[in-house]
Amino acid sequence: MDGAKVTPGRTAGLYAGAAVLRLAIFTLFPGIPDLLTGRVEISTPVTSFKRLQEGLFLYNHNVSPYDGGVYHQAPLFLPLFSLLPSSASLPIFTYLLYIAVDLLSASALWRIADSGESGSSALFTSPRREKRWSGFVIAALFLLNPFTVATCIGRSTSVFTTCAILHAVAKAVSGAPFGAMVALSFASYLSMYPLLLLPPLVLLCYDRQRSGRATKSMLQFAGTCTATVAGVLSVLFQLSYLLTGSWEFLPSTYGVQLTLSDLAPNVGLWWYFFIEMFDSFRSFFLAVFWLHLSSYVAGLTVRIRRQPLVVLTLLLGIFNIFKPYPSISDTSLFLALVPLYRHVFPLMRYTFVSAAVVLYASCLGPAFYYLWIYAGSGNANFFYAITLVWGLGLSLLVCDLMFAVLRDEWEVERPEMAGKEIRQI
Amino acid sequence: MPRLLASALQLRRDPRMLKLPPYLSLLCILAGVAWLFLLPLDQYSRRTYISENALLPGQVHTYFGGSDQNVFRAYKHEANELVGKSNAEFNDKLEPIIKGIGLKTARQNFTYHAAGQTFSGENLYAILQAPRGDATEAIVLVAAWENVKGETNRNGIPLALTLLRYFKRWSLWSKDIILLITPDSIAGPQAWVDAYHDAHDPARVSSLPLKSGLLQGAIAIDYAQEGRFDSVHIVYDGVNGQLPNLDLINSIVNIAGGQMGIGVALQEMWHHDNGYPDRLRTMLRGMLKQGLGLASGPHSSFIPYHVDAVTLRPFGEGWQDEMALGRVVEGSFRSLNNLLEHLHQSFFFYLLMQRERFVSIGTYLPSAMAVAINFTIMAIALWVKSGQPAEVTTPKSKTETPAPATAERDLFLPLGVVTLIQSLAIIPLYLFNHVPESALTPLFLAFTLLNTLLPPTLAHLLATSNTTLQQYHLIQSFSLLLLGMFLSSLATLNFSLALITGLLAAPLSFVRPYRSTAAKVAVSVLLNAVSPTAVVLAAAAYWGTDVTTVLREAAVGWHVCGTYSPVVVYPRHAQ
Repeated sequence: MDGAKVTPGRTAGLYAGAAVLRLAIFTLFPGIPDLLTGRVEISTPVTSFKRLQEGLFLYNHNVSPYDGGVYHQAPLFLPLFSLLPSSASLPIFTYLLYIAVDLLSASALWRIADSGESGSSALFTSPRREKRWSGFVIAALFLLNPFTVATCIGRSTSVFTTCAILHAVAKAVSGAPFGAMVALSFASYLSMYPLLLLPPLVLLCYDRQRSGRATKSMLQFAGTCTATVAGVLSVLFQLSYLLTGSWEFLPSTYGVQLTLSDLAPNVGLWWYFFIEMFDSFRSFFLAVFWLHLSSYVAGLTVRIRRQPLVVLTLLLGIFNIFKPYPSISDTSLFLALVPLYRHVFPLMRYTFVSAAVVLYASCLGPAFYYLWIYAGSGNANFFYAITLVWGLGLSLLVCDLMFAVLRDEWEVERPEMAGKEIRQI
Repeated sequence: MPRLLASALQLRRDPRMLKLPPYLSLLCILAGVAWLFLLPLDQYSRRTYISENALLPGQVHTYFGGSDQNVFRAYKHEANELVGKSNAEFNDKLEPIIKGIGLKTARQNFTYHAAGQTFSGENLYAILQAPRGDATEAIVLVAAWENVKGETNRNGIPLALTLLRYFKRWSLWSKDIILLITPDSIAGPQAWVDAYHDAHDPARVSSLPLKSGLLQGAIAIDYAQEGRFDSVHIVYDGVNGQLPNLDLINSIVNIAGGQMGIGVALQEMWHHDNGYPDRLRTMLRGMLKQGLGLASGPHSSFIPYHVDAVTLRPFGEGWQDEMALGRVVEGSFRSLNNLLEHLHQSFFFYLLMQRERFVSIGTYLPSAMAVAINFTIMAIALWVKSGQPAEVTTPKSKTETPAPATAERDLFLPLGVVTLIQSLAIIPLYLFNHVPESALTPLFLAFTLLNTLLPPTLAHLLATSNTTLQQYHLIQSFSLLLLGMFLSSLATLNFSLALITGLLAAPLSFVRPYRSTAAKVAVSVLLNAVSPTAVVLAAAAYWGTDVTTVLREAAVGWHVCGTYSPVVVYPRHAQ
């Protein structure tokens, strides 16, 4: 499996297989897309396909899409989806769009894997880098991951964000800072939180500049990148303004994420906390939660300066746990990047435990949600308890990966300690 | 403290630790079973009590009787003439009678196809609008022409009509009262409840022309017996093992037993001396019913919609007459009428062992969880075992260089095999739900054969393709992990099914790759004896043929899906 030779035939086979799998689920089980669209694990208020339909309906009838208070997604989705035939009458075009987006993400992931950045970056080369999976395996793990498939079938709009983030990273590792910044701006425009990935992404771009036209000064490079992102974002905002005719979309999309005004349950940790919260403390805790989420960026970027891709992976894992409206789509993005670190897997200590916890949570989650909402014999605490377990499992995985990467670095500094047990003092 | 921690860490490295899990897991199973047998004792079960104070059961005078007796006789005379007539004929006859009482009536047609058979009929229902209510809430009185055993409900239908006529005279109802008369006990109520909640398929079940408010409770009368009775049997099992709120059962026990002096029986325990054996028997019968998850009466269809419902079935030779049962229903309706909000105070998860003794979920869940945990323990143990290097290292060298002591695991083959086997379960699920009834038995035999042959074949395939011991361990580890996971999820939804499946699958924890032929054969026989097909054969009377409504079938089928497949996986390890 490790050294398998990748021919163009196998590549096409993988993509075709993934596409056929999704298309088969879409067409053979017509009830499943709508079922999954309604699941809280997949559709959050800011990514739900159902809400997109609502916004689209208002938009097509020349009403502001944000009037109903249901639609919280970026305005540029509206012209894109109104170009397609209606998903009620001819759903096949929507299906094909989502499948294409998944395949695009996979191809970006493939390029990231083939660059070898995870094993040897500009400043650090892992002694274990030989043991790695090819792009084929990593793309296959992404495309066949049940979480990815479920997100695609549930037609959550977070797949566009996933695609943009993966392309930003792929552009960065292939030495195209401008492309990376444009892709990141799109991701931030769609979901806002990817903006926090800017510092490690700038570092990654800086490290992977093509030798011919490299900018020497770090500050100058960062300044240019930030300016690019700001420029692209302002163009996107301007376009949105022209489309909807007002700046109303800013509070309705980013404002909702910042203030958590929609408390629909999801797999994250915020909703229950803010349901229970007294109103007078709300703004304080909102600030604390956001501060907590963004505090990881600086720390990780500085600590793991030598491997910016690791920072990006860990941040995506952390966002997946702590962001306001997470879904399994974010998990699938994080799990897509984890196999890039095949070389440090032997250093991880809790793979079985974290995998078992995540599996248990993904099995018990729907059961407890059913008990709460349908059977009426449970209550909200049941589902919240299981989202805590889910968060625990994922944070174990994030911590374990971080430990493995740091240990890998440490063993290069202290070769005499390789293979010895470490003990916390 | 640090020294304690250090010694604990030392213990972790001890090779004896790896010998422990099988015993630990056996202990879990034994503890789970022993716990179950402790439950009927006074120290572990609790006396029932009414949590919802608004119910006030047995606090009102019931006036049903006297001249209503004559009305009942008249209705019974009419109903007796309709025995053996068609569904449309008796609805044609009953509708004017109900209209004569002064109520709005409506009818509903339904057709279900299941196992190649068609179940069709017409429901008749009437709504008594509450004199003091605003039509936002309703209570349902159900009477089916045929009970689950196929007997005609000779006294139940006239009694329901008499009660409705009597209720109409009172001005104290604050909730609407709906009388529902269905041709059978399973499909009819199901069609009506589905349509009431707009969850029906309009192609097969027609919509309801007349509706009232939110259903707060339902009581079904199943009075097929002629003459006087001694006690009332309360049937409370819902579809998929869901149960009605315990407060409803307690209220009826209180009204029937406390106020009217009528005996109450549960789970077909006609005589109950409140001793340990009878309690245990009642509980086990309840668990078996819950595990099967089939509808047990007209009330079963209501429970999935969170409408608490029970069926009352009089039995025995005694001196209680129809009017006594009528008074029990009257008292229960008066209690339900008092409710300010939906029943929610008391338990939804419980096991009843006598009419006044129960255990709640907190007390009984540990036994199912212990059984489920045994699989997880073995899964973890096998994972650790699979990580150990093939060559034997001395414990001393292990403590010094533990990091490389973990061998690399090859995950792809085990993961693939487990995923494949698990997904195979979809085939029987689909086939058994979609073939006509006549083909069910041949299909079942074919699957029995396949189920017996598949594991050795697979094992042979694996053996010829150079599967390492590590991969065997991993396959077993993943399968056990999944089994434990499914069972613990299932235990929260249907405790009894999880426990029964867990116990049947228990031998799978202890299966090892055996060398001698005798051991192989013995283990294969044992595993086949507890395999789902063998169990179904043993319990054939309960299963297979009475797949009635498609909904119920799918529900049962889906439960089977989660539990069927892991059991198929295992016998392979016998090789």
